[in-house]
Amino acid sequence: MGKHVVAKISEMTPGVRKIVQLEGRSIGVFNVNGEYYALKNNCPHQQAPLCRGNVTGMTLPSKPGEYIYAREGEIIRCPWHGWEFDITNGKSIYDPHKCRVKTYEVTVEEEEVTTVETYPVTVESGNVVVHV
Amino acid sequence: MTKKKEKTRIIDCDVHTYPKHIDEIRAYMDNPWKQRYKGGGRGFFDNPVHGSRLDAEPSSGGPPGSDPEFLREQHINEYGIEQAIILPRAFCNLHPDPDFATAIAAAYNEWLAETWLGKYNYDGVFKGSITIAHQDPVAAAKEIEKWADHPHFVQVMTDSGARAPFGQRQYYPIYEACDKYGLPFAIHPGTDGMGINEQPTPGYPTHYIEWHTCLSLAFQSHLVSFITEGVFERFPNFKVVLVEGGVSWLAPLIWRLDAEYKALRYEVPWLQKRPSEYLRDHVRITSQPLENPDNTNHLIQILEMMDAKNLLMFASDYPHWDFDSPRHAFPNNISDELRNRIFYENAKELYKL
Repeated sequence: MGKHVVAKISEMTPGVRKIVQLEGRSIGVFNVNGEYYALKNNCPHQQAPLCRGNVTGMTLPSKPGEYIYAREGEIIRCPWHGWEFDITNGKSIYDPHKCRVKTYEVTVEEEEVTTVETYPVTVESGNVVVHV
Repeated sequence: MTKKKEKTRIIDCDVHTYPKHIDEIRAYMDNPWKQRYKGGGRGFFDNPVHGSRLDAEPSSGGPPGSDPEFLREQHINEYGIEQAIILPRAFCNLHPDPDFATAIAAAYNEWLAETWLGKYNYDGVFKGSITIAHQDPVAAAKEIEKWADHPHFVQVMTDSGARAPFGQRQYYPIYEACDKYGLPFAIHPGTDGMGINEQPTPGYPTHYIEWHTCLSLAFQSHLVSFITEGVFERFPNFKVVLVEGGVSWLAPLIWRLDAEYKALRYEVPWLQKRPSEYLRDHVRITSQPLENPDNTNHLIQILEMMDAKNLLMFASDYPHWDFDSPRHAFPNNISDELRNRIFYENAKELYKL
């Protein structure tokens, strides 16, 4: 159980994903519209590397014959069988209650500044930190 | 549990390999076919998500299933597969011109023999299927004869897409050759409803999810036809392999056919035994995509009912999107004996490996 700096926020702009190895676990870190999320890189179905799948949108529940495509960038599809998962909470789309992938907390933390003089620190200089 | 699974010996009965580029196939064709052949698959009812595992694309370029070293690393070595039965996807069965279809099948066989069964096959892990165009059964029989003595071709294959059920007599030159050379006849989904072939539903379904679910229907029709037409009486050495056509339907279908037989044997008097006995003696079925009900015990009961111990052979369908992992496709609590029959012994016996 620990905190791990996985990237500078400057290298993880919206839409960027990074797969990292933390405490023996493969974890995918995502920037979805400016918010950071982390998922276990392991599909609950047949243990495929889920986080290597396509990040995409989804067709929202709709009436028969109606198509509402939305949530672009918020959904990841397993690279094997194509199951959809909500990156923001790890829940599968087909059965969010019973089928979900483990999520990890992600925070943005400022870099430690060791200079004597003080400077304004903007969020661009921070680190993306995953809490395993 | 993991330790037990690692000991499982595996013959994978459905692995797909592809040329790096379609010119690899064209190199084995003469004109006029070489100029005409552009490759191509079924044209529609493509998976709207993705057709192959996204992680199966080799870094060397080319499509999934085209790089032998990557395929070995990701599939053969990863799971400890002892033999992989290769079924190429020529899609020759949709063409209205039987000569063109036969030329495509012949080119795929030459290509497979030289590459995956030849220079890529230094340890003999790959076994192959002779592709035939069932539009011209006499030409198909000649193609079978051509390759029958090859040490690594272990079966004949065709698409389930057809113009007539496979038990009918126009196909018999194919089965006569299979029977003569002891080569099982494998049927794999593809070209159903495409080109000249019938779609085995009432008309065309709208969506891929329907088309893909209903692929089993063609297999059921072909199986009933093989049995009732007396193909296995006519060709006593002939074996059929149903690949990727579903699994869980088998037991109730054969119960139904056995029930019909009690009175309707009168109509097909050449049947010397119950349909289920022909099934046991002449037909094998591969596992992927294995239906997995919420209640795992129901699947275990299905395996018992269908005589999986003798009929079922493991297949992964690598590198396609609905790949079944050897580690995770089956319930953990099937017996070691049943697992060994499904993953190894049944295929070993059928293909004489």
